[in-house]
Amino acid sequence: MRLPDSVTGSFLVVLGAAAAYGGYILPPVPGQPVGPNVFPLVIGTGLALCGLAIVFGIGHSFEEEEELVPFENGQAASPPPQGKLEGKLYGLRALLPPALLLFYVVAADRLGFIITAAIMVYVTSTALGAKLKLALPLAALSPFAIHLIFGKLLRVPLPAGLLPTPW
Amino acid sequence: MLKTLIDAFALISTWEVIIAMIAASVYGLVIGSLPGLSATMATALLVPVTFYLSPIAAIATIVAASSMAIFSGDIPGALLRIPGTPASAAYADEAYAMTRKGQAELALGAGVWFSAVGGIAGVLSLMILAPPLAEIALSFSTFEYFWLALLGLMCATLVARSSPVKAIAGMFIGLLVSCIGIENPGGVPRFTFGITDLFGGIEPIPALVGVFAVAQVMRAMLTPEPPPLPRRKFGSIMAGQWRLTKLYHWQMTRGNIVGIIIGVLPGAGADMAAWVSYAMSKRFSKEPEKFGTGHVEGLVEAGASNNASIASGWVPSLLFGIPGDTIAAIAIGVLYMKGLNPGPTLFTEKASSMYAIYLMFIIANILMIPLGIAMIRVAAYILLAPRSAIMPIIMLCCAVGSFAIGNNMFGVVTVAAFGVIGYVMEANGYPVAAMVLGIVMGTMVEQAFVTSLIKSDGSILPFFERPVAAILAAMAIGALLWPVMVWVWRKLKPVQTAAATGR
Repeated sequence: MRLPDSVTGSFLVVLGAAAAYGGYILPPVPGQPVGPNVFPLVIGTGLALCGLAIVFGIGHSFEEEEELVPFENGQAASPPPQGKLEGKLYGLRALLPPALLLFYVVAADRLGFIITAAIMVYVTSTALGAKLKLALPLAALSPFAIHLIFGKLLRVPLPAGLLPTPW
Repeated sequence: MLKTLIDAFALISTWEVIIAMIAASVYGLVIGSLPGLSATMATALLVPVTFYLSPIAAIATIVAASSMAIFSGDIPGALLRIPGTPASAAYADEAYAMTRKGQAELALGAGVWFSAVGGIAGVLSLMILAPPLAEIALSFSTFEYFWLALLGLMCATLVARSSPVKAIAGMFIGLLVSCIGIENPGGVPRFTFGITDLFGGIEPIPALVGVFAVAQVMRAMLTPEPPPLPRRKFGSIMAGQWRLTKLYHWQMTRGNIVGIIIGVLPGAGADMAAWVSYAMSKRFSKEPEKFGTGHVEGLVEAGASNNASIASGWVPSLLFGIPGDTIAAIAIGVLYMKGLNPGPTLFTEKASSMYAIYLMFIIANILMIPLGIAMIRVAAYILLAPRSAIMPIIMLCCAVGSFAIGNNMFGVVTVAAFGVIGYVMEANGYPVAAMVLGIVMGTMVEQAFVTSLIKSDGSILPFFERPVAAILAAMAIGALLWPVMVWVWRKLKPVQTAAATGR
């Protein structure tokens, strides 16, 4: 996901300009010189200027190279082996967690908490390389544990869905 | 004074507080010791639980979990050379070198002991600094608050270990996020795009959970699993710590002071404190050649420093609502929720609650010693848990926790969105801490700014007229210009040296 600075910088210029314009067109408070439009205008302008500076590489010299302290030297240098095999699609795996959260939003009310949670756990766990022996019991048990803590003890109204909880 | 202290004792000696504190301590120790799960993430995931606790018990869980997690990050650092939390990264190499020399007990013992000492030093700073600062802060007007908030935001961008331009951009993104909703000077829907869920604005807590927890799970998807911990038998862990305290008492004190100062600065937290203190220890050591070969001196200073910053990070949080670090940013959210709105009046009106916070910090740091020793002994078993078993649970907690905050699904969408934003920002060198600060402080900055502008009738002059405001303004503008000056200086220097060699 490492994009060139010119791309992220240009994006910030557009975002900043849009925010400034969006602020500018807001209706002012009658009889008062400053209203809800001032702050977005300032922020948007600042953001656009920062974006410009990033596009032109200002401040780049301050950046430290990606830190690899957490791993041993040899390990950090070499990318994960599967990465080469699956090529570009490997990077998309990172989008799995937010996708699963959106799945939860869409499905939880219909399927119920237990089933949705079990699917989420199973998918995340296998994506991280768990064997079936670990992923299945985890997916079967952890939703009940979380339901016990949040649903029973903390009284969060978790959706029951297809599996009405009799306890 | 005495009466307030007794009231404070009464507040914390309920079963709810005691159980919450012990449970949160164990939770903090476990999360902190697992590589990839940081202290901030531990605190963020705790927030939904705090909803259902009394105010004091809610703060107790945050105090206990954050203190414990910062210490327990040392454990995998010393045993595996993988820091459990970023705050332990500075000295993980050193601690691992000690383990290889057969001094694992000494390294981990120093971690527990000096963390506890540092934590208590941090609380003392909070107790000593906060009340007089509150006296001064009572006379602050919106002009001072505006400059103070700006100074806080600028500090956060200065200390970021990245390009200051990107840090400022990150801060602006955070401020922009805080613009969303109808809670603005005009009370008009702003940047809501007709979506009703956006009318209430973006809650800071789901945003933080997304940035710190979901983004971490996303990174885990692409990084290799850390190796399991070899099982080992430990000797006495606390043996020799008193000798170290006497030998390195000056280093310990310096670590405490540096940690306190860095903790008070907005945006800079425990990890920064540990890096600075470790570097300082090496620089001023009588035997710098021993550093990196398993020398305990740097561990003492950095360990004392990172825990001291945790408590002192609460000073600006409680006084002004400006978070001293990312953990304090979460704590502020909880304080607001529990009716303990940060501000100088907190120290007069809710004095007993403040004393209760001090006491809980002290108790948490004393509790750290026995629980920490127990944790070191069982760490080998906990670290056996594979990442593929922990991350799915984190995901579930993110989903349920963010739902619980408002009992609506929009929280879950927010978490997912900020997971992506946090991940992309981090991958491209934009510091997320600056954005988090922007989100947390945005409403306050805007309120101070717009109120000041209305009072001054659009003129800029009153922003500098009051003496305190002028000083704060000078500092904030100085902080803004500092990177520019460094940049110009760096540009000029190679030219000069090139000219010198050319001659």
